[in-house]
Amino acid sequence: MKKITVYSTPTCVYCAQLKNYLQENKIEFEAIDLSQNMEEGQKLIAKTGQMGVPQTSIQEIDKNGEVKKEDFVIGFNVEQINSLLGIS
Amino acid sequence: MKYDLLIIGGAAAGLTAGLYAARRALKTLVISKDLGGQVSTTPTVENYPGFIEPQGGYDLMERFKRQAEKWGAAFKLAEITSLKKEGEVFKAETNAGEIEARAVILAFGKKSRQLGIANEKEFNGKGISYCVTCDGPLFKDKVTAVVGGGNAAVEAAEILSKVARKVYLIHRHDKFKAEAVNVDRIKDRDNVEFVLNTTVESAHGDDRLTYVMTKNKDGEEKKLKLDGLFIEIGFEVKADFVKDLVGFDKQNQIITDDKQQTKTPGLFAAGDLTTNPYKQIVISAGEGCTAALAAYEYLEQGKVATLDWSPGTI
Repeated sequence: MKKITVYSTPTCVYCAQLKNYLQENKIEFEAIDLSQNMEEGQKLIAKTGQMGVPQTSIQEIDKNGEVKKEDFVIGFNVEQINSLLGIS
Repeated sequence: MKYDLLIIGGAAAGLTAGLYAARRALKTLVISKDLGGQVSTTPTVENYPGFIEPQGGYDLMERFKRQAEKWGAAFKLAEITSLKKEGEVFKAETNAGEIEARAVILAFGKKSRQLGIANEKEFNGKGISYCVTCDGPLFKDKVTAVVGGGNAAVEAAEILSKVARKVYLIHRHDKFKAEAVNVDRIKDRDNVEFVLNTTVESAHGDDRLTYVMTKNKDGEEKKLKLDGLFIEIGFEVKADFVKDLVGFDKQNQIITDDKQQTKTPGLFAAGDLTTNPYKQIVISAGEGCTAALAAYEYLEQGKVATLDWSPGTI
């Protein structure tokens, strides 16, 4: 299964658009507000090197709950989101 | 996919065009890489007629979209890579496939202008940003700078001053173009420092931005340590993909006649990318409306012409 996490800030409209887009396509995700959670923010920046939002983590999780693969989408990149989540 | 009208750009001009075209029963597609363009990044809109209370920019654009969709316009998130006219048909290549339309409205507005310094692209998202409202909160307690002298730059410095440890406002002239009331709001803040008569020359760092080189009007170069550099030097039209189909003014804005038609019949332009000197939501909406009605007229005439040339009428 896939676990999707959207990292965002409250004033970022591309974050809002991305979340709306996922909702419209009935894709469940966890949202993390980096303005309230800088610890997660630092972890994210260390992983991707990107100091911008939105960023979306798409984790492939096996039946034992282990993360097999993690992809990141930087920004509101519909094409990449579509291809990683199989939205047509 | 085939449409009567393809509208490129999904903000005030494009969505209003979509509404009017759909109400004229044209098969209409609005294609855009995001919803609401520059308006969406504006926290509040207080001058759109009919809305007495301030509206969130993005919320207002959502309303525009919902209204266009209610009347039958389709909206698709995608990007155009090329547009050409073959005979009477426009063919657009997009990252979501080829689209054909009998008329096209260009309504994709303006994009943030880049500084054009060494390593600007490399550090984009790694310390360099063009959106304070998006990325500002990530620079809590960091050292930042804003480049620019207009309202957008001064407002960016104000937003950053609430989260960052330090905000340099770097401007190439000695006076700001921004309104005095905006400058007054930040000039006495402890963590804001004006760096005037100075330009940013290059960006440096390893994995992410750590410092920039600046140069003042006497030619003195200085190293400025930074975690974040926000570039707010205005907007420009990026319309290379239609450069053979339209004419441009000196500012690279698209020239139209009073029905928003470009030099190519059937190709219209509306909103911030046209030569209208005032860039306002209500003006963009008005131009979008004109463009849609003119496109309808163009297509109706096209139908008449087609009938005239069909077998049996000659």
